[in-house]
Amino acid sequence: MFAFMDTPLLPEQASEFSKEYDVLFWYITGVSALGASVVYGLLIYCCFAFAKKDGVAPKRILGSNKLEFLWTIIPLMFFLSFFVWGVRQYDYAINPPAETADREYTVVGKQWMWKVQHPTGHREINEITLQEGVAVKITGTSEDVIHDFGIPAFRSKFDVIPGRYTTAWYKPIKVGSYHLFCDQYCGQGHSQMVGKVHVLSQENYAAWLEGLYRVRDGKNPVDGSPAWEGRKLFLKLQCINCHNRESESRAPTLEGIHNTKRALLGGSTVVADDTYLRNSIRNPMLQVRDGWKPIMPAYTRAQVTEEELLNVISYLKSLKPGDLPSRSEMSPAPVGAPNIPDPAVPPVPAPTTGGTR
Amino acid sequence: MADILLEPARLDYTPQMLPEPEVSFEKHPEHKHYLNHEYGLLSWLLTVDHKRIGLMYLVSVSIFFMFGGIAAGLVRTNLITPTGAILELDQYNKAFTAHGTIMLFLFLIPVIPGVLGNFLVPMMIGAKDMAFPKLNLASYYVWAAGALFFVWQLIVGGLDTGWTLYPPYSSKYSHTSVMYAGLGIFITGFSSILTALNIIATVHKMRCPGMTWGRLPLFVWAMYATSVIQLLGTPVIAVTVVMLAVERMVGVGIFDPNLGGDPILFQHMFWFYSHPAVYIMILPGMGVINEVLTCFARKNIFGYKAVAWSSVGIAVVGFLVWGHHMFLAGQGYYLAMVFALLTMLVAVPSAIKVFNWTATLYGGSITFQAPMLFALGFIILFTIGGVTGLFLGTLGTDIHLHDTYFVIAHFHYTMVGGMMFAWQAGLHFWWPKMTGKMYSDFWSRLAAIVMLVGFALTFLPQFAVGYLGMPRRYPNYPPEFQIYNVLSTAAAYVQGIGYLMPIFYLGYSLFAGKAAGNNPFKATGLEWQTSSPPSPHNFETTPQVYFGPYEYAVADGLKIIPLNDGKIHDIVHEDPDLVGTTPKEATHGS
Repeated sequence: MFAFMDTPLLPEQASEFSKEYDVLFWYITGVSALGASVVYGLLIYCCFAFAKKDGVAPKRILGSNKLEFLWTIIPLMFFLSFFVWGVRQYDYAINPPAETADREYTVVGKQWMWKVQHPTGHREINEITLQEGVAVKITGTSEDVIHDFGIPAFRSKFDVIPGRYTTAWYKPIKVGSYHLFCDQYCGQGHSQMVGKVHVLSQENYAAWLEGLYRVRDGKNPVDGSPAWEGRKLFLKLQCINCHNRESESRAPTLEGIHNTKRALLGGSTVVADDTYLRNSIRNPMLQVRDGWKPIMPAYTRAQVTEEELLNVISYLKSLKPGDLPSRSEMSPAPVGAPNIPDPAVPPVPAPTTGGTR
Repeated sequence: MADILLEPARLDYTPQMLPEPEVSFEKHPEHKHYLNHEYGLLSWLLTVDHKRIGLMYLVSVSIFFMFGGIAAGLVRTNLITPTGAILELDQYNKAFTAHGTIMLFLFLIPVIPGVLGNFLVPMMIGAKDMAFPKLNLASYYVWAAGALFFVWQLIVGGLDTGWTLYPPYSSKYSHTSVMYAGLGIFITGFSSILTALNIIATVHKMRCPGMTWGRLPLFVWAMYATSVIQLLGTPVIAVTVVMLAVERMVGVGIFDPNLGGDPILFQHMFWFYSHPAVYIMILPGMGVINEVLTCFARKNIFGYKAVAWSSVGIAVVGFLVWGHHMFLAGQGYYLAMVFALLTMLVAVPSAIKVFNWTATLYGGSITFQAPMLFALGFIILFTIGGVTGLFLGTLGTDIHLHDTYFVIAHFHYTMVGGMMFAWQAGLHFWWPKMTGKMYSDFWSRLAAIVMLVGFALTFLPQFAVGYLGMPRRYPNYPPEFQIYNVLSTAAAYVQGIGYLMPIFYLGYSLFAGKAAGNNPFKATGLEWQTSSPPSPHNFETTPQVYFGPYEYAVADGLKIIPLNDGKIHDIVHEDPDLVGTTPKEATHGS
């Protein structure tokens, strides 16, 4: 019924700041617990020790200036220590260090999605992918109402306000996927305005920039990568008409093909490396896959330039089982749209169902 | 000096009052009190008696509390599953907004000033009525009209902006009844201002002979501080709502950046009222706790001056901390720093109060009737509410906790754990005075325990889930947070049962309760020295006050030395020692 084992007790520490944050958090918790214990201890003691007894009259005590002074000064000292430490931490959290100067991300909030732009030109929606150990600066604004870009695992949060820019910075230190929430109430789809932060290792991040690494299953290559450009060509050049999951009789799906052994018509085998993929597009009759008819048309330089071909190959390399889009591309339904399953298309988990976060 | 020392005599506390009427409702059915001296609907609707107006507030706020409670029930029930158990997204948004706005504007703000303030302030200072009785009635009707209009708008049009009404969402994007709901808030604000004015004038001008400022019960001090905040703060929220209306209806750019406005300006103006407003809500509750704790511990309040001045301190500094709601709204580093520092300073008077209450119990003779249990519950919960506020007032820690369930839990621990328990303590404490009837001891104590346990368990998991990062105002949430939400909802039902219990046993006491007698808790306040229920003009004769409040130790038989005319003229408030002492004889009598 409930996922007891998955219930977290403490939030993940995924950024450099989160560790420092937690030290202050637990310091205040400790002092608070101490203060509350003193009050509760006295309360319990008094309730037992001074419960009404026959023949015992209450004492007439009006107060004590010494004690008043004591319990004004001691809490004040602790409160001021919170203040000073808190200011230092706030200073650290809101002022991006110099190393982030050339790694500025932008985020635009709108009802009800996050649009993230990387300094490399990559774009993401409701997701932001970062490299472990690399500090980044993020600047936000809003197209409509006030939102708030919050990442609990980084202990970071800032309001995203129409008409002005606000900033934050992070240095992720732990590989993983973390929640991204809109924390400022923004209307009907407020709780749908959520996403994921992906922290990748250096090599995975490099592959991800190329569009060759998936941050989650079924995720297309990131917008702005060579593979993403190749994907657009794959659709534009109508490759998808035969290389799709619905009509397997015409052509292979190509998912997971890169660097695998392919049996060819005539009995030989070949490793499907970049050259093989290139040849199969430029001159498909050269090496025809065993079991399929030789119906693949050749694509000349007039149809696909060399640069474009590189992008297409990059896309083919990125394809993992289940990645190939259906012939009629489905995009996620807008918030609040009725969830009508299309019988021709395998169900795509739309973000409105809530369970995919 | 020796000639004035007479034989030590046991002091009956009552002599400060001129002859106590030896009547009670039961023995003398012909006794005319404020409830039965005239009958008929009009005698209620047109009354200028502060006690009747107080009861009208009691009935009204209780109804609105039920509305707000139903909305809370919907919200909590919906949160049982991560995808929302019963409500659509916009229904949920309307439900939590209805819960927040009704509870704040129609329950927490008016409840203690409206009911207990109206009923008790004149009686506690020995006055016949408020300074402006007709204004008092007008203020009730203004409030009732605004409140009914507001609730009607919530039902027919709904409001989905949250109680904070942040533009540009509220001014441009919300398609609910923002303007009409705003008008409702605007109208009820006038009532706040009028009531505040009335209480300030009453405290200044209507005190009976001998009731000096240093002898005022602390509830009156708290009501006075509250009224000052209301008088100064409420016009600001009224202006803000008008500006919102001008922008939404006429399109003048004040808050909308597309029209050249600034959405942060609204937040400054909103919190300039709404932060002091939380002190409007909690200060009267703190006042109630002073009265209840001293009575059931049979003690003087520990540090009368410290407690009284901490109320005033909260009222003053409370006006200077509004920016701590906006640490992450891009308000500027140095501004944030100043607000954080002032926030730490405003935490001190609250801490002083808690320590003073605890010290008040020391050396007492404590009994544990329902009002005392509620008051102890208040201290327990308010302590947690107070210390968790430190996390939010500290700049660094607020970054992560801002707008999460941690804030929700903190706010409820202070406002519900604090205010709601203080209200229950006050209601149970003065119920016999208001109605002349005593309620069931067993059921009232049980209700206090059920409410305390239900309350604590509702909001403790929310601290945990807030630290994990669950944002507020989310009908859908990540499934790993479900267990916390289910725990919270289950406890909320227990709490709900707790709130229903008083309706039954207090209602039952009205019809079948035992006569309470004039002073069932043997309290020392002036309001207890008259009959229960009080006569239409409170006192048979104008009372004369000879010494300060909370002289329970004296009333309970401590020996003191009276002056040679046989009267106690004063009990000198200057003994700094912690040990119980015999009060010194007065040195300045006549």
